[in-house]
Amino acid sequence: MSVKIEVGAGGIPHNRILIYGLVGSLVLIYLTYLNTYFQTEYFAFFGGLAAVAALIWGTDTIKHLCSYGLGTGVPSAGMIALGSGVIAALFGATTGIFAPIVTIVIAAIIGAVAGIMANHVVRMDIPVMIVSLIELAIVGAMTVLGLAAMACGTFEFLGMITGTVSFLGFTVQTYETSVIGGSIIAVIFMLGAIAIQHSFNACLGPGEQQDRTLMLAAECGFLSMIPVAIISFAFIGTYAALVALVISIVGWFYTYRKYIVLSKRDAYAWLDAKPILEPKGGA
Amino acid sequence: MSALGGPKQTGGVQSPTAIGIVLSIVLIVVALGLAYFLVQMAGVLALVGIIIGGVLVAFGVHFVPVGGAPAAMGQSPGIATGVAMLAAGAGLAGLFGGAWAAPLGLPVALAGGAVGGGLLMAITCTMVNVIYVFGMGIPAASGKVDKDPITGDTFPEYKSQGTEGHGLPFISWVGGVIGGALGGLGGTLIYLELLDIYQAQLPVLLNATVEQIAPVAISLAGIFAVAMFLINAVLAAYNITGTIEGPHDPKFKRFPRAVVAAAVASAVAGIFAIGLLQLVGVF
Repeated sequence: MSVKIEVGAGGIPHNRILIYGLVGSLVLIYLTYLNTYFQTEYFAFFGGLAAVAALIWGTDTIKHLCSYGLGTGVPSAGMIALGSGVIAALFGATTGIFAPIVTIVIAAIIGAVAGIMANHVVRMDIPVMIVSLIELAIVGAMTVLGLAAMACGTFEFLGMITGTVSFLGFTVQTYETSVIGGSIIAVIFMLGAIAIQHSFNACLGPGEQQDRTLMLAAECGFLSMIPVAIISFAFIGTYAALVALVISIVGWFYTYRKYIVLSKRDAYAWLDAKPILEPKGGA
Repeated sequence: MSALGGPKQTGGVQSPTAIGIVLSIVLIVVALGLAYFLVQMAGVLALVGIIIGGVLVAFGVHFVPVGGAPAAMGQSPGIATGVAMLAAGAGLAGLFGGAWAAPLGLPVALAGGAVGGGLLMAITCTMVNVIYVFGMGIPAASGKVDKDPITGDTFPEYKSQGTEGHGLPFISWVGGVIGGALGGLGGTLIYLELLDIYQAQLPVLLNATVEQIAPVAISLAGIFAVAMFLINAVLAAYNITGTIEGPHDPKFKRFPRAVVAAAVASAVAGIFAIGLLQLVGVF
């Protein structure tokens, strides 16, 4: 009993998407540092956009890896990506301004070890395994770091574990109302994992088209941004969170519309459901 | 669950390559050395605990009857989902059970984790069989063995033509519970080791009491336990490639490879988790 994984040929070469994804997510995540620079919180949403850029790249990587037929389903690749990624992201976050770069390095190390284990000990013997797991670990790490930065406005560890709570007019510093202390990081973990594993799992098969799959990846990324934007109301200013929420919803709506258009382009035929009209004069 | 049918589906057990073995030993030794360098003897003991936990997770996954997509159509025995999903379910249930019992001491917490994971798998396996027998109308029959090693029930009379067996025989049920218990035990062990480290380091670092940093320590230990659990579970899944019926399946004999891979992956991921707080405030 085996199901053949079919992927469409053509489209943008994977290496170009790799570079766009890596550089794009790195630049976008550094844009959240403008928050620290200008002492504001309005730039938090760039973290979510970094996650979207990473997710698009990750989906293309998963497409490459899973076209070899892992035998374990597409979601397992997303799980190992976020599993390696969250460790790298939190370790990287402790290094202050170097956080995104350290995150990438640590994620590459963990991904390489997982890839070597998969190929040389477990003997998967898949040529792209090591490279793919490195890429996926970086994608997972950038997704976690990006969404965490979006939730609390900074990618630095101390910002993630400290929060403030107002009590009878006094503002008290506390570790409970923070991204890590409140276990928001667990929510971010699952939001990222679902976003990365869904797109290719949903689009694979005959007639798979790269632009459609990647558009779904962007749509999943924006969809994950919406809950994070709502969560961010607890940690950053109301207007800054509102900006993030509006950007998430607009981005999701745009990518969703595009995805439906692309789906209809690739479909053989479709039926636009219309409400049943009441016959005149009653039935 | 569509990527069934990996490249090594039918091949015999291939032993790890020389590079893989050498790298495994080197990486574990380096990780243990780093742990001693960073947190002295407590770090080494914690890392050993994490490695044992990771190995238990990877070993436990091999017991769980995973059916994948064919099982959803009643064409192979097992639970109709992927290894990563089942392992995540059992591990998280175990982790909740163990984390809840953490203040009661190591033995009680570990037992709580094992019972939590085992209980989830027991309920899942039972309900899977209820659906198979009463919903889909198919009897439980293994395709890999002729007689159930525990009950002595025979299978060939009940096995449908063209299938690899169907339903969930008693031996698979027992395997599922053992696997869930081992997974829950391993996940809880990782969690407790990391919790000890963070509860010792965070108060000094942040100049706060243990109660104040408890949310951060618990959240960090929890998310890292989940992350390492998923890495190990996916490596074990790559080792199984596709479906497995339980401890009586010939694929079960592959487990030494997954144990080595999980030990190395846990050591590398664990060293980053243990050393997490070493760089806070440096940059």
